[in-house]
Amino acid sequence: MSVALYKQMMRVNLKGILNYAFGSAFYILLMFWLYPGIAQNTAALDDIVATMPAGVGRAFSLSGFDSAEAFISGEYYGLILVLILAIVSVQLSTQLMARLVDRGAMAYLLSTPTTRVRIALTQACVLVSGLLIIMGATTLAGFAGKAWLLSDRYAFDAGSFAVLNAAAFLLFFAVGGIAFLVSAVSNDEKKALGISGLIVFGFYSLDLLGKLADSIAWMRDLSIFSLYRPGEIAGGGAFPALGFALLAAIGLASFAAATALFKRRDLPL
Amino acid sequence: MLTVEHLTKTFANGKGIKDVSFEVRRGEVFGFLGPNGAGKSTTIRHIMGFMKPDAGRATVNGLDTWLSQGKVQSAIGYLPGEIAFIEGMTGRGFLDFLSGMQRAQDRRRREALIERLQFDANTPIRKMSKGMKQKVGIVASLMHDPEVVILDEPTSGLDPLMQKVFVELVLEEKAKGKTFLMSSHSFPEIERTCDRAAIIRDGAIVTIADIRELQRMQRKLFEVTFETEEEASAFAAAGLAVESREGNRVRVAVQGDYGRFAEETARRRVRNIDVFTQNLEDIFMEYYDRRGAKG
Repeated sequence: MSVALYKQMMRVNLKGILNYAFGSAFYILLMFWLYPGIAQNTAALDDIVATMPAGVGRAFSLSGFDSAEAFISGEYYGLILVLILAIVSVQLSTQLMARLVDRGAMAYLLSTPTTRVRIALTQACVLVSGLLIIMGATTLAGFAGKAWLLSDRYAFDAGSFAVLNAAAFLLFFAVGGIAFLVSAVSNDEKKALGISGLIVFGFYSLDLLGKLADSIAWMRDLSIFSLYRPGEIAGGGAFPALGFALLAAIGLASFAAATALFKRRDLPL
Repeated sequence: MLTVEHLTKTFANGKGIKDVSFEVRRGEVFGFLGPNGAGKSTTIRHIMGFMKPDAGRATVNGLDTWLSQGKVQSAIGYLPGEIAFIEGMTGRGFLDFLSGMQRAQDRRRREALIERLQFDANTPIRKMSKGMKQKVGIVASLMHDPEVVILDEPTSGLDPLMQKVFVELVLEEKAKGKTFLMSSHSFPEIERTCDRAAIIRDGAIVTIADIRELQRMQRKLFEVTFETEEEASAFAAAGLAVESREGNRVRVAVQGDYGRFAEETARRRVRNIDVFTQNLEDIFMEYYDRRGAKG
């Protein structure tokens, strides 16, 4: 890794990353603040959900209002956080590789005694750091919210909340890896953004559709989002070791492939 | 010091470079001349290791630039043809960052260069004019005191005064034993600094020659305006290569034989003399034609 490049790239991208981190932290605090009101009406809410088609409740995780982390896993980790991190993964990975090639600034990086492998790995570290900062802020805000807003009156399992955050990070380690791979082989910034956006949101849509109806449940198996099941983690299910391992493997393989392909390709600089 | 051997690359659209070979010796300033799109930048991209050649290779300091990418660069300073910086930085911020990447810690040389080129390095890059960005690029290519300097169209965007400063800089570095490869589409731009030059056209080297030989080969167009039409017609009949004649104005092409041109002109009363800037193919028309006939 090149320290000078890492520092510079963090400096350029930190503001955007912090905006998302603060946004996410604020949102999760809001959810904690809302929860006591919801908890009083758990039974009524469950009744409303019961009147909806089963698929809708599943797709949007409208279940389990009886514990704080179940509520948050459904309402935040199931949708909003996923969207935030998907946008960050696609945008940041495009900026870190394809944009530098497209606009020509990569020529300067490669004119210094730094190998392509080192440049690619440094940029991958910047992407992973960005995801870590956002997830770290979200996790801390969650624990702070629990301490300030819920005290001991409501059920909250700190262990499964931590696993939930780890799962979200690993999912986007994998998704970010795929977006980074697309970015590393693209000469055109807009094309890279389009293709990786299509892949990520395509995966997300397959997962969502698969949850909506049992007849097309096989669609979920095509999507890496199915390896991420916040509802099950919060519901006290077994530790999703296989999902974790697969996501980590997909991420590592994608970053490795991105680096190897970037090393060998012609750059139009 | 820098060699290019049988370098060949064909792009998907059929364009590219074919069997390009030349050698730049240590301490030499080598010009790389060609019209736009002739393959200058493509060749330089191969020397910088941005592209993998289909055949042949480029070496700097004995190291293959494709295979040793990241290693050869410690001896190279580079000015890209189209300068693009990382967004959101000032000139000095960018140079600081690049020094870090080049692992060059001596700032005195950089500050001296900024002083020479006279620009405010604290200006944000997005607010800089083309010429100012070019100056930042020139500083970036020289500040780490590289042995080999590769400059793609170095004086584009610089005003005549700064072009002069640039020429002085190159000559000083040359005196210190530095090696230069400098591309350009204009002969006057490189004739002041270069020892030898290669001319490239349509992806192939047309000739490699001493700069003095090229100066003899070059063809200049003069337009002389005489006091009267009679003097003009007498001048036109004097046996010089007349391109056109219109009233009391005569346009002649001169190649090498400036003495004869001056002599014939001085015999008559001259109102005005203009020199025409021409493109490379017109300057070296005979060269191109002769080669074309051979090929």
